[in-house]
Amino acid sequence: MEGQTSNPPGNSSDFVRKLYKMLEDPSYASIVRWGDDGDSFVVLECEKFTKTILPKHFKHSNFASFVRQLNKYDFHKVRQNNEENGQSPYGQNAWEFKHPEFRMNNKESLDNIRRKAPAPRKQAQNNDDLVPTQQIDLLNQQIVAQQQQIQHLSDRYAQLTVDHQLMLQEVMRVQKTVLNHENVIHQVMTYLLSVDARQRRDSKAVTFQSQGGSTMSPSQVGAVDDEPSSPLQQASKLLNDMNAEIQFNLPGMDSMNDPQKAAPPPTVVSTPTMDAAARNGAVRPPTTAAPTPALVYPKMGGELEPVVYPVGATNGIDPMYSEHVNNVPYPMPAKPEIESSDARRQYPDNRKKSTNVDPGWMRSPQILLVEDDATCRQIGGKFLYSFSCVIDTAFDGLEAVNKIQGGSKYDLILMDIIMPNLDGVSACHLIRQFDRTPIIAMTSNIRSDDIQLYFQHGMDDVLPKPFTRKSLLDMLEKHLVHLKAMSQGMEAPPAGAAVTMAAQTSATQSIKEDSSPGQSPAGSMSNWQSPGQFQNMQAVQPTMPPVQGQYVAAAPAAYTVDQNGVQYPAATPVAVPAAGTPVRPPHRRQMSDMSGAAENPNMAKRQRMYPQPQPMMAVQAGRPG
Amino acid sequence: MAPTDPKKAAEPAKTEGPPQLSDVKELIDASTFEQILEMDDDDDRDFSKGIVYGFFDQAENTFNKIEKAIKDKKLDELSSLGHFLKGSSATLGLTNVKDGCEKIQHYGAGKDETGAVDEPDDEVSLKNIDTTLKEVKVEYAKVENFLRRLYGEDIKPVEEEAKETKETKETKEAKPKAESKDSK
Repeated sequence: MEGQTSNPPGNSSDFVRKLYKMLEDPSYASIVRWGDDGDSFVVLECEKFTKTILPKHFKHSNFASFVRQLNKYDFHKVRQNNEENGQSPYGQNAWEFKHPEFRMNNKESLDNIRRKAPAPRKQAQNNDDLVPTQQIDLLNQQIVAQQQQIQHLSDRYAQLTVDHQLMLQEVMRVQKTVLNHENVIHQVMTYLLSVDARQRRDSKAVTFQSQGGSTMSPSQVGAVDDEPSSPLQQASKLLNDMNAEIQFNLPGMDSMNDPQKAAPPPTVVSTPTMDAAARNGAVRPPTTAAPTPALVYPKMGGELEPVVYPVGATNGIDPMYSEHVNNVPYPMPAKPEIESSDARRQYPDNRKKSTNVDPGWMRSPQILLVEDDATCRQIGGKFLYSFSCVIDTAFDGLEAVNKIQGGSKYDLILMDIIMPNLDGVSACHLIRQFDRTPIIAMTSNIRSDDIQLYFQHGMDDVLPKPFTRKSLLDMLEKHLVHLKAMSQGMEAPPAGAAVTMAAQTSATQSIKEDSSPGQSPAGSMSNWQSPGQFQNMQAVQPTMPPVQGQYVAAAPAAYTVDQNGVQYPAATPVAVPAAGTPVRPPHRRQMSDMSGAAENPNMAKRQRMYPQPQPMMAVQAGRPG
Repeated sequence: MAPTDPKKAAEPAKTEGPPQLSDVKELIDASTFEQILEMDDDDDRDFSKGIVYGFFDQAENTFNKIEKAIKDKKLDELSSLGHFLKGSSATLGLTNVKDGCEKIQHYGAGKDETGAVDEPDDEVSLKNIDTTLKEVKVEYAKVENFLRRLYGEDIKPVEEEAKETKETKETKEAKPKAESKDSK
């Protein structure tokens, strides 16, 4: 025994020697002993072994540790199912372990029993300890880095959001300006077209008479107009009368009052826009800026109203009109019976059609309808639905503000003014603190001071109540131009400018009837800008000698823009032939060449247009100059 | 026609034709109302009917509130009640009701009926409102009657004018829906 223990410690391990020594003790034979073949040892009574023998020899009483230790020295458990009968020869609970070098009576071979790969094991141990701390450090660093990144990103995001908002506002503003300008143009166009339509008809009757001398034609036209069969005709007549007067009064253009006297107020009520536009075109001298059309009112005797809208004149066209009729907030019911019936006659087809017509959005506009009155809300919602809009509703201003604040995005907000909890103006004011969605006031309170208030608090437009399907559609098309395809965008605005009333609808309709392809708003529009336009101008000019002087003063800049470079006083080579006694025919040829449209109608149109384009040109020129 | 309906059989006097919007031009702005009818689906009138009947409730509620506010002498409230009903009646094209409501709105705001001139005496305003409310109710009753008939309710017309029209259509009374569609 002593000799065994004196073995060099490096050659055999304590554990193995202890194990060997333990097996030499015969008193343990019933618990642990050498196997029958002497090449293994068997733990017969696991429990006793653990409790009595282990403590004595290994200073612990943990069988599992003992087994682990055995495994470390590369002992292997002899599997019972390796036996032939699947049953251990030492009993069911016996644990048999063996090691090739661990044999009974062979102490020497114990030296060959060593711990399995101790070095790698240790290293692995070290790694186990090291890796976690290193990894944790690494992870921590990564987390910190990521946190910083996130922080950075969110800062950047916030910054971008602000920038974006600013840009958006800027774009909105620009858009609005563009729309305003467009609207002015369209309104003028609408007026012109209506005049054109009328005159086309008239000129059919008085074709050759009018050729005789242009100054004559208006009065003749007026005479032809005597049957006031429809509101349009009335309006046209009114316009014609005005035109006539203007033509007569052209020499004294600065006295704008005269033509206005000719305007019978009653008709004004039913055809506000056209009337306003008419007056605009008729009255506005070259010195007046284009975007203040509606400001001239007949009752004012030509005195210019102060600009009511801070936002731009076009925004206020309708409201302006309603301001004129100040205390008649519901102009539609007030319209003459004849008008409605007439409108109806032309209507049904068209209206039924329009019920199903998709306005042609590129995507469905998202509309927020803020309205406390269930009836209005339902009808408005239904109308919007029929225009392929996606509708959200809010019961009052508070709910609307909450919705916007909650991140809901809309293309347009229709806002009632008088509502419980929070009125529309206050709601708009709040929304404007953080959002630029166009907001349309939807109200019957459309007196000028009301409207001024709306605009002051950031509203974009006013839709007078009770709105009609058409007025609502016009409003959508006006403010959602960016959602429409281009061609429709071109056509929509004239309609939009054209009004809300049934009577006017009929007017618009006849306009459309009369606008054959060559004369569509868009077409005429481009005509205006085309060089050929100025040939028209010149061609017409000689027929109105008195005016020339004025135009010279007012519009040179405009005309220099033109590539023709040919200016008025009929003295220029181009104009001279046109100025000859047979004034008309050459003109017509010119025009039909250019527009390809019917001669007479165009003739009439140009003729009527005459007073109008001047201010337009002046304005356009005014900006570059 | 409708033998199962004793009421109808008992009242052969009620021989008005299908209600026509054109019969009530002075009551209802046809173009305004028609554009609502146009929003109906092809095979029923659920939408417009829902709106109109919703309006009935709304109107009667508002009338009650107005009466109460008159008793309480709350002019502000009267003005806003007038405004409220003005909005919905105008949306339906109920011209006369709307006009009346507008007057109430103005009176409530301490103005005359046009809203242009101040009326300093609250008592006068209240009295005006009271009077106007009665007028409005009369107008409303006419409109309501017409609209209920339009939607196929079997009631006597308030106004005599429609009474004598085409007896032949009486047979159609049994199918008011189809009938009102025809009338369109």
